[in-house]
Amino acid sequence: MEEIESPRQTYTEKQKNEVFNNEFLPLIHSMYNFAYRLTLERDDAKDLVQDTYLKAYRFIESFQTGTNAKAWLFRILKNSFINDYRKKSKEPNKVDYQDVETYYNSEDVNRQITPDLRVESLKDMIGDEISNALNSLDVDFKTVIILCDLEGFKYEEMAKILDIPIGTVRSRLHRARQLLKEKLSEYAKEMGYKNT
Amino acid sequence: MSESLNPFVLIDGKKPSCMQMLQVILDEQATPEQRDYFKVHMDRCMPCFKSYNLDATIKELLKSKCCGGEAPHDLVEGIKQKINQQLSL
Repeated sequence: MEEIESPRQTYTEKQKNEVFNNEFLPLIHSMYNFAYRLTLERDDAKDLVQDTYLKAYRFIESFQTGTNAKAWLFRILKNSFINDYRKKSKEPNKVDYQDVETYYNSEDVNRQITPDLRVESLKDMIGDEISNALNSLDVDFKTVIILCDLEGFKYEEMAKILDIPIGTVRSRLHRARQLLKEKLSEYAKEMGYKNT
Repeated sequence: MSESLNPFVLIDGKKPSCMQMLQVILDEQATPEQRDYFKVHMDRCMPCFKSYNLDATIKELLKSKCCGGEAPHDLVEGIKQKINQQLSL
């Protein structure tokens, strides 16, 4: 299993259950929220979370108590999604991430056209717009926003969860936010903000 | 403020862009020195000032509008049952 890196631990059955019940299960709501944002289907999200927890239990000896259980579980969930659910996706991955990174590290990044969006127009959005804008992003862009802005992971933790270098985390996050702003700007215009 | 004192300067010696500095601040991953530097920088840089307010608002909205969904009540029970089934095989 790819997500297993730490040295194997030895747990008694009682200890296994303690780790599972006290460290893994309290994260069920965050896990479900992540799964739902990825799959956009409640039943798929439920199955994905269930699969993730079953794998976590099966490979529990690879988890070291006192380390970051949330990052460990999110990594398993993300890999399960890629391996088992993303294959069902109709849209192939069309994003050239090398371009995203090259652009982020170039001087052009400061000269980019920021969508004309104002704080005032955002405050009138009732929630669906924000959620729909997030859901509309390509899954890899959506994922970095979820991990960073919703779940509060640090860049280093995100790099481990996603198996990408920190520099790529930063460039992808920057691009994701830009795309999100473009989407929100469209909504603001639909709401009647001429100069959003 | 001299550029050589910029605590954001990257390991490879490159000067970071405004957007790169802003992101580190926004994501609360800056050191105290970086925060102090950016505060002064933002007073002089209108694009950074505007972007900071906008980006911070979006981040706040994401957190308040897209978090907090509850997992279905039967999910935990279902997981425990599956594990017990596997253990009894």
